[in-house]
Amino acid sequence: MSTESLLIISGVVLSAVAILVFLIYYLVATKGSVVAEVAEKSGYQDKDVFIRDQTWGKPRYLSWSVLSANDAKSIGLRYIFTSLLFLFLAGAIGVFMRISLVDPNPTIITPIVYNVLLTQHAVLMIYMFALGSAIGLAYYLLPTELRLKRDDLGRYSSFAYWVWLLGGVLFFISQSSMRWYMYPPLSLQMQTYGAGLYNSVGIFAVELIFIGVLMASIIVLRIILIDRSDDIPLSKMPIFAWAMVFTAIMLISSALPLMVGVAMLFYDVFNPIFFLKDPLTFAVIFWFWGHPVVYLAVLPAFGLMYDVITRFTKRPMYSYSSGVFSLGLLMILSELVWGHHLLNSGLGIDWVLFFTTSSFFVAIPSAITIFNMIATLWTAKKIRITTPMLFVLNAILDFTLGGVAGVMLANQSVNEIAHGTYFVTGHFHFIFVGVTLGVFMAIFYLLYPTFSHGRTYDTRLARWHFYFTAVGSFLMSVSWEVGGFIGMPRAVAGYFPQFQPYQDSAILGGVIIGIGQLIFLYNIAKSWSTVPTVDPSNILEYRTETNDPIESSDLGPIAAKEEGGSGV
Amino acid sequence: MNSKTRTELLYVVVVLVVLMAAAGLNIVYVLGHESNIATAKDPSTVPAGSTVINVTGYQWAWQFTYPNGTSSTDVLWVHVNTEYTFQVISKDVIHDLLIPALGLQVYAVPGHPNQVSFSVNKVGSYIFECVEYCGEDHYLMRGTMEVLS
Ligand code: HEM
Ligand SMILES: [Cu+2]
Ligand SMILES: [Cu+2]
Repeated sequence: MSTESLLIISGVVLSAVAILVFLIYYLVATKGSVVAEVAEKSGYQDKDVFIRDQTWGKPRYLSWSVLSANDAKSIGLRYIFTSLLFLFLAGAIGVFMRISLVDPNPTIITPIVYNVLLTQHAVLMIYMFALGSAIGLAYYLLPTELRLKRDDLGRYSSFAYWVWLLGGVLFFISQSSMRWYMYPPLSLQMQTYGAGLYNSVGIFAVELIFIGVLMASIIVLRIILIDRSDDIPLSKMPIFAWAMVFTAIMLISSALPLMVGVAMLFYDVFNPIFFLKDPLTFAVIFWFWGHPVVYLAVLPAFGLMYDVITRFTKRPMYSYSSGVFSLGLLMILSELVWGHHLLNSGLGIDWVLFFTTSSFFVAIPSAITIFNMIATLWTAKKIRITTPMLFVLNAILDFTLGGVAGVMLANQSVNEIAHGTYFVTGHFHFIFVGVTLGVFMAIFYLLYPTFSHGRTYDTRLARWHFYFTAVGSFLMSVSWEVGGFIGMPRAVAGYFPQFQPYQDSAILGGVIIGIGQLIFLYNIAKSWSTVPTVDPSNILEYRTETNDPIESSDLGPIAAKEEGGSGV
Repeated sequence: MNSKTRTELLYVVVVLVVLMAAAGLNIVYVLGHESNIATAKDPSTVPAGSTVINVTGYQWAWQFTYPNGTSSTDVLWVHVNTEYTFQVISKDVIHDLLIPALGLQVYAVPGHPNQVSFSVNKVGSYIFECVEYCGEDHYLMRGTMEVLS
């Protein structure tokens, strides 16, 4: 493509984005000024304070107004539902990629399209769904769980949200095919056969996403550590708050080097002076972030799993202190293992020894966490098997399976066989689908009556959603692990015919997961079209302690409904 | 110490033992197979008597150049029970050569040659493939290793 047509196309695309952004801004600002007028009439100078006072302590449900209101709960709703949208976008891409692999040779889509989809699936799932939903749940749950003294960073949070969203959207339309690793020199090949014609936009978009999540993490950290009510000491914080503390610290400390690296990479697009001659340096910077980010996707989920388990067993956590301790240890050890993604790149024997050995040690806090959850269940007199609880139980199973595969990969002898194959894909999809997605769904169901201002969903359909997700995910990841172990490479648009059975059963698994999510969508859509009838409160939001026995009355009307067979 | 703490400690000790054993086995493996693990190219560490094959990865094929100056693309010829050393480089982007049957893996990085040694103890035909995503026809960057007697 000639430079001229490139300039014309990018000009048109950028103007279209600018117009869209302006339109959104205009709508939001107009809406804001209407609210500002009302606020003034009621004697408020600052509309944000007005909104906060109006909504404080009331269940906060989804409406268009969350786009203009800057209180923490509105920001949370924005993040949660935006990440849900991205989950469905990236999920559809994933299922489509699977289906395209029915034939060993690319027939349904060209390799170029496959590579774009591969890149979008990973980037959108990790940054827009996993990180977005964790940040969203923190903004939504923590203000009430921690009874915040103040909520005055709304404008910054809102800015962080829009930058993150702009980054995600730009990345999607950039049609980048650099894969989420962004390794140069490939990421600097601005050709359809390389990283895509507009990959400069793709790299820029990643930087925007980083700015957004970094700002949001700093704010979440301040909310928890400084703004929480004086009568909640650190030692009494809900475990989810602790999980978010560690998540935020981990994100802040490992994102910064890569942000600098990505900026240098962006510079390299125009004047390649940094990474072209030394691509492994970028790879090292990338994985210094890349490993921690995979734990960013599970730490918040761990916190929420404890919350769900303690609610439905009416038991305190088996050991709160070791729960907090192991989450903290996970944060520290996760920063030391990134080299296990580069074991065959020529790091040198000493580094191989260091990173393989340290990788075994990350498994210790992971194992303590799982122990703590199982022990809580074990000591419970009665476990109420609700849909959220099913998702959490499955998450425990899937994390164990995925974790065992991770420990296997930490053996150099196994890594030499399995690195770069579907075994790795199986390892982390057990965890991403089982834990990150599963726990998000569990929490979504729990919060649904509040989100929807008093509606319920069909529990039977929710069960089906669970079964399809769990069974499909198991089938998909197991097929990948087996195929990968005998050498089936990942990230490919076609494959040796001998791998067909493993691909086919993974496709079946992927399609089953997809059907499960369609059931979810149908269930929610059906419920949303009904008239609100139930109490819109939920059992999570006002929860302040994790370490005290919980009376059944705390479970509220929603839980009571579960026993009657409808409701949550 | 109450029974809760004791159960937990017991569990931690068991986990530790299992992991330490795994870590120990791994260390023994690594230290015993230094030449079978990809490291930066260094003529002084090529095992004595090992035949050097120059491997070049490029978008989207593998080229093998043998000591006698001949070369082959997307097919590798070796003899059974003979020690070989790959010296691997890339002409363009990062690639990664995997021969699953041997558990042999080495990155091909532009400007950063790597080396790795191996030998095959069974005659036959085995697949190899690129396992580092490298653009449009990444999936076609594959071939077979023919092991002759
Ligand atoms: C139990 C502790 C864990 C250990 C010991 C472990 C170990 C490993 C190892 C050694 C690799 C490198 C595989 C390779 O490419 O050769 C890897 C890759 C990966 N792990 Fe884990 N892992 C653990 C937990 C997790 C968790 C909790 C997640 C979160 C979802 C995760 C996500 C990933 C991802 C996404 C990759 C592949 C990244 C990529 O190549 O795209 N792992 N893991
Ligand atoms: Cu890792
Ligand atoms: Cu390649």
